[in-house]
Amino acid sequence: MPISSRNFKWIQLALLFFAAAWIAGTSWLSTPGEGSRSASPRAGFPAPSFTLTDLDGDPVSLSDFQGKVVLLNFWAAWCPPCKAEMPAFEALQQAYRGDELVILAVNTTYQDDLTAAQEFVVENNLSFPVLLDMDGKVSNAYQILAMPSTFFIDRDGIIQQVIVGGPMSETLIQTQVRKLLAEVP
Amino acid sequence: MLPILQIGPLAIQTPGLILLLGLWFGLTLAEKLAQIDRIIDPNAIYNLALTALLAGILGARLFYVARYPDIFFNDPLSLISPNTAMLDAFGGWVTGGLAMLIYGQRRKLPLWPVLDALTPALSVLLIATGLAHFASGDAFGIPARLPWSIRLWGEYRHPTQLYETLLAAGIAVLVWPRRRAEQPAGVRFLAFVALSAFARILVESFRADSTLIFGSLRTAQVIAWGILAISTQWIATRLKHQSTAQPLEEAKP
Repeated sequence: MPISSRNFKWIQLALLFFAAAWIAGTSWLSTPGEGSRSASPRAGFPAPSFTLTDLDGDPVSLSDFQGKVVLLNFWAAWCPPCKAEMPAFEALQQAYRGDELVILAVNTTYQDDLTAAQEFVVENNLSFPVLLDMDGKVSNAYQILAMPSTFFIDRDGIIQQVIVGGPMSETLIQTQVRKLLAEVP
Repeated sequence: MLPILQIGPLAIQTPGLILLLGLWFGLTLAEKLAQIDRIIDPNAIYNLALTALLAGILGARLFYVARYPDIFFNDPLSLISPNTAMLDAFGGWVTGGLAMLIYGQRRKLPLWPVLDALTPALSVLLIATGLAHFASGDAFGIPARLPWSIRLWGEYRHPTQLYETLLAAGIAVLVWPRRRAEQPAGVRFLAFVALSAFARILVESFRADSTLIFGSLRTAQVIAWGILAISTQWIATRLKHQSTAQPLEEAKP
């Protein structure tokens, strides 16, 4: 039997009353912001901290760049899409010179050929820091499942966008960077 | 959680794949059910959804381009980039909805029967959305130590993605077309909207990514309560005027 208008009125009232009580009750019991968010490799969370050495053997930490927008890229020399997007990163590096934007390219050395990676950097005159993840711990912390993977981190150290796969177009990189640079620190 | 399906050199975004499969499966079901109901032309349902989808994708890209015209001017080929990061969700919904309205008007499709016919597809899509959230880890829950908690983003949390999937499955069962209880046109769709809003109110309380309004109230719950009130009132009105409503047979194309 189809539901009658009179019966539905009661169902409607019960639904609305229960929903209102649920909203009020649960908002009093818990809030979404309770507990600080631990570092995780996803948008909206603080970027996991790390310290790696660059090609010259100097230590570089993510925390060195607090207050700046960071483009964190994971790559390997055997990965053609990774290499294809490097010129776009270099163009950005030349445009910003590390003032407001920092580009960090983490080479997944634990599963890459270090010599091939070094040769690629030299051949392409890459001037941004290339860091070496020798034991895979940083790649593991960032849950790298496919390459290239790129994390756009805002001035507060919060990941705002994760792009898995590539090569990213220069347009995509520029729009994401501009969005983060436009945010008031 | 399985955000990426790596097949050789191919990295497939699992959430997108689930949503696409949900859309295809839902539309196929809606088309089959429309064939049985014989109220709406099944092809019209498929074409309407396809038009809205294509217009939605186009609108989402154009709204995004409008934010950075100079960058796209230098690289016009990016206009057709398949990357979903260069889409504007609001623009997509607006243009998709408008395209649906225009297509419906031009084909003289009756609004309420069409929305009723689309409801099974929407129900399947709602289930797919929950599964896509589970695959990507989006719409995650607040930290909780429960026997059914899942470890996600560094904490044990409420499996809100599974809550929304189960509720969506329940909604699909409730609004699935039945011969025995014929309701006025539009009630099936409105019931889907009302139940979806009610489910969102329930699940939102366990989500950790909510935004707040009026102090400590969750924005999504306040909006969902409004949608619940409007949709149930609309159902009440349609039930009240059932006797004077247009018989379903007259709505045939």
